[in-house]
Amino acid sequence: MFEFITPLFCLLIIGGTFLGIIFGSIPGLTATMAVAVCLPLTFPLGLENGLALLLGLYVGGISGGLVPAVLLGIPGTPSSITTTFDGFPMAASGEGEKALRIGIVSSFVGGLISLGILFAFAPTLARFAIEFSYVEKFLIILFALTVMAALSKDLLLGIFSGVLGIFLSLIGRYDISDGGNGKMRLVPQEWDYYLDNGFSLLPVLIGLFGLAAILEQAEIGVPKGHSREDLKVGGESTFSFGIFRNQAGNLARSSFIGTFVGILPGVGGSAASLLGYSNAKTFSKHPQTFGKGEPAGIVASESANNGLTGGALVPLLSLGIPGDATTAILVGAFTLQGIQVGPLFIGNNPDTWNAMIIAMLLANVAMFMMMYIAIRHMALVVTVPKHILFPIILMMCVVGAYTINYGIMFDVWTLLIFGILGWLMVKLRLEVAPFIIGFILGPSSEVYFVKSLESFGDLTIFFTKSWIAVVLWILIIGSLVGSFYMSRRNADQNASGRAVG
Amino acid sequence: MTISRRNFLATSAAGAVALAAPSLARAQQLPRNVRLVIGSTSTGGDTYQNSSIVADALAEHLGINIRVDAVGASEGFRALGRDSRGTTLMMFHDQSYLGNLYGREGYANPFEAYTVGQTVSINPGNAYLVPKSSTYNSMEDIFNAAVAGERVRVAIQPGGVSEIGFSAMKNAANVRAPGSADNLVAVNTGGQSDKNQTMWDDLADCINGSIQANEQFTQIDDDTAMKFVWITARQATLQQAPAEGMGNTTREDLLKYATPATSVTLDGSQDFTFDKEFFFLFNKEMDTAIIDQLDEALTAIYTEGAIQERQLGSFFIPNFLNFADAQAHLQAKNETYRNVLAQIS
Repeated sequence: MFEFITPLFCLLIIGGTFLGIIFGSIPGLTATMAVAVCLPLTFPLGLENGLALLLGLYVGGISGGLVPAVLLGIPGTPSSITTTFDGFPMAASGEGEKALRIGIVSSFVGGLISLGILFAFAPTLARFAIEFSYVEKFLIILFALTVMAALSKDLLLGIFSGVLGIFLSLIGRYDISDGGNGKMRLVPQEWDYYLDNGFSLLPVLIGLFGLAAILEQAEIGVPKGHSREDLKVGGESTFSFGIFRNQAGNLARSSFIGTFVGILPGVGGSAASLLGYSNAKTFSKHPQTFGKGEPAGIVASESANNGLTGGALVPLLSLGIPGDATTAILVGAFTLQGIQVGPLFIGNNPDTWNAMIIAMLLANVAMFMMMYIAIRHMALVVTVPKHILFPIILMMCVVGAYTINYGIMFDVWTLLIFGILGWLMVKLRLEVAPFIIGFILGPSSEVYFVKSLESFGDLTIFFTKSWIAVVLWILIIGSLVGSFYMSRRNADQNASGRAVG
Repeated sequence: MTISRRNFLATSAAGAVALAAPSLARAQQLPRNVRLVIGSTSTGGDTYQNSSIVADALAEHLGINIRVDAVGASEGFRALGRDSRGTTLMMFHDQSYLGNLYGREGYANPFEAYTVGQTVSINPGNAYLVPKSSTYNSMEDIFNAAVAGERVRVAIQPGGVSEIGFSAMKNAANVRAPGSADNLVAVNTGGQSDKNQTMWDDLADCINGSIQANEQFTQIDDDTAMKFVWITARQATLQQAPAEGMGNTTREDLLKYATPATSVTLDGSQDFTFDKEFFFLFNKEMDTAIIDQLDEALTAIYTEGAIQERQLGSFFIPNFLNFADAQAHLQAKNETYRNVLAQIS
């Protein structure tokens, strides 16, 4: 039954996880890319061994994204954007090691919970997932978009930034399959060649978070790195597992959210961490601390994005429909061996199914051990003098941008354009976080909105389609009301603070 | 010893020629590292699968590295257009000229913009399916429904391989009863999972799919279950598939959904068929010696026979045609479907 567990199988998991962490840790390189690069190697390895390698890369790649998010403020992957909100402020105050440990434990728990759900309920959940038509998927994206309001320091400017992000995400060809006319839009004719698919997400992301920050630092004068004495590492770290005592609810909720979003094909990992983060903030007793170094924010973000790993495999292994971009590449491992994934896959291939579950479990354990041990050294990155660190980051950003679409120079220009835009946005008091959320979720929100109208006729369908739609509306309205209330309360507190002052 | 300026220059020139000679010779061969771009962004689809099989065999035979990059049609054509050295080759299928025939943006006429090369295999799996609970059990039922004024919604990905069968359906409906084609309505969707979802959402009565991707759904009995109504491949093509067929559906079972058992007429006398073929595309300016090298290598590989086993194992029909034969064959196919589309419109 478990004959597939061989030294090679274990070695591939460990090696895959290690390589995945490296990919995830470098801005611009992602879990998806790691799996794509190694996919051709899987054919000679055979299915079980090939999957061991790819699942290790998947778990490692998703988890590795937290390292640059915390230490550099650059999300290693799109799904770790929310980790930067609290992780980077913690690192900036010398608590990078603590932030990383919180993130790693949360990633581990999120991964295990989603794996348990995958193992126990895969076919049942897949049947539930197909209840989500274009309408429900649009409402989920809309719900995730409401996070823009929750994350805005100034509600009006924040929402404006988010809408600007959506607007820029719609640049490019409006494909017929997406309900469009197949024509280019919002693009000057001379840029048609470059912007057929619009701006690539990864260069935009690392431009806004990486290059913009470097430009800003360069403007004010490059600071020195932290001295080792400033850092709370090793015995001085204030991390203890007691932190999670009050976070059990957050941890479980965010893991479930991540798993659930993973189960829905076409919604995406960024939505998982955004929804996890937004819910953690909503349910928190001190939501005003979010975005300023709140451990609960890291817990939510990391458990949700690792929750995605098991969730995204549910529709893949039960229906043959990949749950996210990485599992879409994973399908190749099966087809290269001449095996089709579909509703009979689990029943017909119990050994492969068991191998995948064991591989995921071992990959999560390997990820936890590798990262937990290496943390102390990773956290020292911030002690590297900035005049050395910044050029290295810049080089990684450029290499990452150039490789993301297999060597397109325009992606490097995109990095530069959005780096400058991010730098200017701060000066114009526009907000980067809502902007990038709009940019990421814009295209899918448009597709599902247009497809809903095309399929069902009119706007009433968004309210009448199903009970799921009604529940989602309640959540959307609740999220918006909460955000407005928070915004008002902050404004009042600021006003009274000024009056007292 | 003194070396005159003339002697020095002559010796240097001779040396340079001698040093350059091997690389000049190599310039007419495939380079050490080759990038094979494909017209699909999916690594789980048939284009990636076919390309990987051929790339592995070629790499082993020629002792070079070939990497398959799933960049999609637009980016693939662009990458091919940029590189005439033979470092970038492309593999795609009939979509490359059907996209042009359907007037899709980004699809130039591949016979003019590029050099169309060797064919390697056929995927005989292009199929149409209905829900298992549907009252339609065959194409005959669908055509009759259209004639009776019933609206039949067919989910397709517009502008290519997915649409060609639907175009043929409309044509057949009109041949049988003029005007009835108006009752066959396209539902434009994206990839296979989108098409499946439209069926499950009851937005489509029939979907375009494939034997490989949808066969398992024909073996179950729940809300997601489906049944085949039409397979577009030629009978002769399907007969080359392994007798055990795909999954739990034997070749004999599959033949019931293909011509002549299932008829979608082209003109009242012959049936429409469509085989999805995979072939190479080259930069127009690429050295023809590389094409000759590929001809030679592929001939040897197909003569050896191992590649056919791997292709058949993945339910693809081996179909190697050398450069000259493939050019003639694909040009003819292009003309056939140009006429079919003209007839339909």
